Amino acid sequence: MFTRLSLLLAGLIFSVAALAADNQYVLGVKGLACPFCAYGIEKRLNKVDGVTDIQVDIGDGVVRVTLQEGKTFTEEQADQAVKEAGFTLHSFSRAEGEPGGNDAY
Amino acid sequence: MRTDIHPMGTLALVGFLLAGASTAHAAPNTFNTALPVAEGQSIWREQLVLRERSDSGPMDRKVSVQALGSVLAYGVTPKLAVFGVVPYFFNKELDVTTPMGRINRDTGGIGDVSIFGRYTAYQDDFIGGTFRIAPFLGVTAPTGDDNDRDRFGELPRPLQAGDGAWDGFGGVVTTYQTLQYQVDAQLLYRENGRHDGFARGDETHFDASLQYRIWPRSLESVSGTPGFVYALLESNLVHRERDEAGSSTDANSGGTQWLLAPGLQYISRRWVVEGTVQLPVAEDPNGDAIADDYIVRVGFRRNF
Repeated sequence: MFTRLSLLLAGLIFSVAALAADNQYVLGVKGLACPFCAYGIEKRLNKVDGVTDIQVDIGDGVVRVTLQEGKTFTEEQADQAVKEAGFTLHSFSRAEGEPGGNDAY
Repeated sequence: MRTDIHPMGTLALVGFLLAGASTAHAAPNTFNTALPVAEGQSIWREQLVLRERSDSGPMDRKVSVQALGSVLAYGVTPKLAVFGVVPYFFNKELDVTTPMGRINRDTGGIGDVSIFGRYTAYQDDFIGGTFRIAPFLGVTAPTGDDNDRDRFGELPRPLQAGDGAWDGFGGVVTTYQTLQYQVDAQLLYRENGRHDGFARGDETHFDASLQYRIWPRSLESVSGTPGFVYALLESNLVHRERDEAGSSTDANSGGTQWLLAPGLQYISRRWVVEGTVQLPVAEDPNGDAIADDYIVRVGFRRNF
């Protein structure tokens, strides 16, 4: 019984992780160099339909965007949101390295 | 006997408030920056300004100002931001020696409100940094009281909360920012209008700032968006023409001064908390125009 519950829980965790990875995009942003700047990007990206979480890694100039299951996020949307924040999109990819279009500008 | 305060009066203070209280992002404490305000983003700033001026002449004048600069910035587009600046004087006080003895005169209230726009004309973004150039242009409206009186009569014009005239100003600000440091520079020219036969001298400001990140020491082992602490050193070179009264100029007004301002700044995603002290390092007042002793600025910013 315990073994079965453990397997079920592991499967559930794996499923959630898989879903999260499938709906996550990684944006390289040029011009991002201070914490206060990061909020402007977060604010613009939060306006994209389906966005549930945004993580900014300021040291690497990377923004990780997570969307709801079934939602998509295009390079054009990313470029628009980053421009509206006053910065420049450098790269765009789906999480785990799957290219989502042109990787560099 | 005139108990006038010649240079660095209301408008000079408004200019300082304007220069220091209009900003976005990591930015200098005493003037503007070229960093963007995101489209649809607002930034609220409050800066408390404490200013002391004096001279060593026979009148032994001492001027104390306690004021609050309130700023609201809004990103119209990624390149265009508009700013509103409202100075409020808790107290403007003059102590002066006269034939009647030592007297005190003071006033307070809202000063002259300014509105200006700033446009990013040049933008070069790179990984971990940016270089930008942004001109700006604005007006100051005569919203402050310019005819306040006390038991001695009408207050001297430079002591009034407002100057009664519409003024214009413009300039350019440039910013070079990296994850480790930031350099800003600004050139601002203010043309002060004429009201009731009086016009304060026009002003030219050349400001520069170096902000160096002192914490975290390194970003190599840091993830996410940590708060930054910057140590700042700012330079303010201000030249003001002589005041005009009627058809003549006041020989004891205006001049040139250079101030250095060390400071600290803490920056997070949503807040900036800052403080700085401007200290005169060189002054060349016209005639017996009064000079600054120091200016303290403490404030915060919040984005939303």
